[in-house]
Amino acid sequence: MTTNTVVSVSGLEKTYGKANERQYTALKGLNFTVDSGEFVGIMGASGSGKTTLLNMLSTLDTPTKGDVVVNGHDVTKMRGNQLADFRAQEVGFIFQDFNLLESLTAEENIGLPLALKGTPSKVMDQAIHEVAETLSIADLLQKYPAELSGGQKQRVAAARAIVHHPAILMGDEPTGALDSTSARELLDLLTTINEQQKMSVLLVTHDPFSASFCQRILFIKDGQIGSELRRGDQDRSTFYQGILTELGTFNE
Amino acid sequence: MLGKLALAGIKNRRRDYLVLLAGLTMSAAIFYMFANLATNQAFLKANAAISSANVIFGFGAVLLILITVVYIMYANSFLLSMRQHDYGLFMMLGATRKRVGELVFLETLILGTIATAIGLGLGLLMSKFLVGFLLNMLGLHLSHLTAVYVPAIVATGVLYVGLFILASLFNLIKLTRTTVLKLLHSDELANQPKVKPFRQMVQGVLGVVFLAAGYWALASIKALQLAAIPIALVTITLGTYLLFRATILMVIRALRHTGWAKKHLNGFLLGQLNFRVHNYTRMLTIVSLLFAMALGAITVGSGYHRQLPMMAEKIGTYTVAVHDKNAREQKLIDQLHIAHQATYTQKRQGKTVYYNASELAQTPVELRAYSNSGNMNDQKLYTESLKKFKKSGISDLDFLSLALGKVGAYSPKILTAKQFAKQSGKVVTVTTVRVKNLQQDLPALKKLNQLETARFSQPGTMTVGNYQNYEMMLAFFGGLEFIGYFLGIAFLAMLASCLMFKILSGAPGDQRRYRMLYKVGVRQSLMRHGIAKEIGILFLIPGIMGVIDVLFGLQMFKPLMAAPMSPYLGIGSTFLIFIGLYAIYYLITLALYWRIVLPQAPND
Ligand SMILES: Nc1ncnc2c1ncn2[C@@H]1O[C@H](COP(=O)(O)OP(=O)(O)O)[C@@H](O)[C@H]1O
Ligand SMILES: [Mg+2]
Repeated sequence: MTTNTVVSVSGLEKTYGKANERQYTALKGLNFTVDSGEFVGIMGASGSGKTTLLNMLSTLDTPTKGDVVVNGHDVTKMRGNQLADFRAQEVGFIFQDFNLLESLTAEENIGLPLALKGTPSKVMDQAIHEVAETLSIADLLQKYPAELSGGQKQRVAAARAIVHHPAILMGDEPTGALDSTSARELLDLLTTINEQQKMSVLLVTHDPFSASFCQRILFIKDGQIGSELRRGDQDRSTFYQGILTELGTFNE
Repeated sequence: MLGKLALAGIKNRRRDYLVLLAGLTMSAAIFYMFANLATNQAFLKANAAISSANVIFGFGAVLLILITVVYIMYANSFLLSMRQHDYGLFMMLGATRKRVGELVFLETLILGTIATAIGLGLGLLMSKFLVGFLLNMLGLHLSHLTAVYVPAIVATGVLYVGLFILASLFNLIKLTRTTVLKLLHSDELANQPKVKPFRQMVQGVLGVVFLAAGYWALASIKALQLAAIPIALVTITLGTYLLFRATILMVIRALRHTGWAKKHLNGFLLGQLNFRVHNYTRMLTIVSLLFAMALGAITVGSGYHRQLPMMAEKIGTYTVAVHDKNAREQKLIDQLHIAHQATYTQKRQGKTVYYNASELAQTPVELRAYSNSGNMNDQKLYTESLKKFKKSGISDLDFLSLALGKVGAYSPKILTAKQFAKQSGKVVTVTTVRVKNLQQDLPALKKLNQLETARFSQPGTMTVGNYQNYEMMLAFFGGLEFIGYFLGIAFLAMLASCLMFKILSGAPGDQRRYRMLYKVGVRQSLMRHGIAKEIGILFLIPGIMGVIDVLFGLQMFKPLMAAPMSPYLGIGSTFLIFIGLYAIYYLITLALYWRIVLPQAPND
């Protein structure tokens, strides 16, 4: 493994259900890597194990077998507080349902990962205002989630995911609950973050449009990586066509 | 089909239901015990001291009913908070409102009826054992106290089932009026209370004024008589409510802008409190009052218990008088911590009892100076010269009581040693003992008094020595003391469960929030501490207010507990025990909350 690999997955298996119950194997020996600064998409039909994979990467769930190394940390060997700290420091996560705390203002929501680290409040304010500028939500900071639209909420969530400069930003269908304009805005922002901050992005989606913003796409089928598509220097709409074609053959 | 679904929903949350059922059961049981005491005519008639406290019982019953109503309201909201998501889902799946309404109505009613039935059974058992135990501990005997009293059973049953029918109707209306979407997402709406500085200033000032008026009313109970209690109840309730509204939110707002709020989970804690405290204001007010009443009742109860000996000590001159003491009695006397002891020889003839002047000169009889100040501490003991004693002290009631016959006291005469030697009559020696501290020697004194009264009968209406005085007062004030303890425990149980339910009804919403925190990478220990702080603050606010209420409220008992007794004496230990019990409730709530709210890590 070279130093510029952010995520390295080998032989990853996940079986749901206890030994004496009905079991279901969602992931059957997955192998792939994500390089530092890459924008990678993971596609697959509903129920193909995308969320399961992301849960393994973000330590929300534990693999049955195999290794997951994120930014040099062997995720499968961590326990308790290490897991929590790993999530707090190494990964940024955007969820389909935003996962914002409605009792906190946007500003407080964004500051949460820094507060957890015990960052001094001056540094914190600075960092919050910086990301707020980047994501153009500076005027929303004092609002509560209930006062924001879906797109605005997701931008706040994105700000929270990157405010502490994690090694990788992961999103599980982050555009799933958004209208097409908001979805497009968010995807543009993710691209900007990826390009300007050189942050690795791992985007899980079943939607070809969202996937077309990625540089490389991994297709999951039956719990394994079925194929891979690179964008190279194609423009986005050409890549989009490529994805549609791939999906067409992939699903046959 | 829908019934089956509903049952499945209940099964999934059976532990929460058990908590709810347990709370309601306890409440019904306590209510039955109280109703049993308050309405049992045979019991009331047989205990004169208690029937004089009938007013207190009536007052207690009204309070208990009010609290029960509030309690069931909170229990019901806990129930609703657990179920509304399911109900919303049923409606979304196409169940008619009418059908779901029926389900809600039935569910609430069935739960309530079961709780009432079990509660009555438990109440019967508790009446039998707990009341007996409490009385035993206090050294009281109350006659005609039966465990099974049908009118009390009926009263409890009617009140509870009635309240549950109301609660069911309330749930029915609430559910049929809210939209499906609101039901499904009920716990995601966090309304942010607005702060209006001027209005809050006014509220704060008004609150303090009302509180002051209430405390004043309690302190001037002598002038206001019974009217003081309702006045205080209304003004203190209003005052507390306004004060809470005005201050708590402001404090939280102010804290939110400090650097402290930006550390760890503090900001989250404040955010939680911010939108929680607002709709908690009413409940915190009620709980703080309940807290005050429970603590007040127990304080007064234990005050009587501890201070009766002190009071008895200040009446009369000697503790016990033993006639012709035998070896067993001497042994008991040797165990006492004696402050003053005197032995006199009597010769009784006809209606006269003769004393030997030289004995009286050697150990003069102690007398007490009764003053008109009303303060018993001014009533000092003193002795006089024999000459003076012959004139005035000789008619002192305590001295007369040293020689009691079947019909009354012998009239005393003091003879010189020579004359006394010649005087004929039945020779009796009497030993008077005054102990340093009545409380300390109670067990030995009790035995001594039993031996003495077994050998010498005395007129039933008279008491000899202040130990017998103490026993008489114990019988009289014991009833009050018992009510104090009983109400105190009942109020405490209810207040803590009110708070518990209110807090627990917020748990389903918090479950989501803590799940989010878990995903964002908050350590389990940090979440635990955060929850402990949050719930701790919700317990602390009414606790502090309640303690203040009690400190002022005890003024009310000043006329009843005249010096040397004082409602404030030794309250420290009572407070500590009470706060200990309150803390146990806090810990139980916390444990339940942790269990409901904390996300489970996948590998454990
Ligand atoms: N906690 C679980 N227990 C059992 N099976 C699960 C669990 N989570 C997901 N699955 C199963 O694993 C498969 C993959 O699910 P998921 O990763 O959520 O798919 P998606 O690609 O749509 O995100 C599905 O068939 C699903 O039923
Ligand atoms: Mg998924």
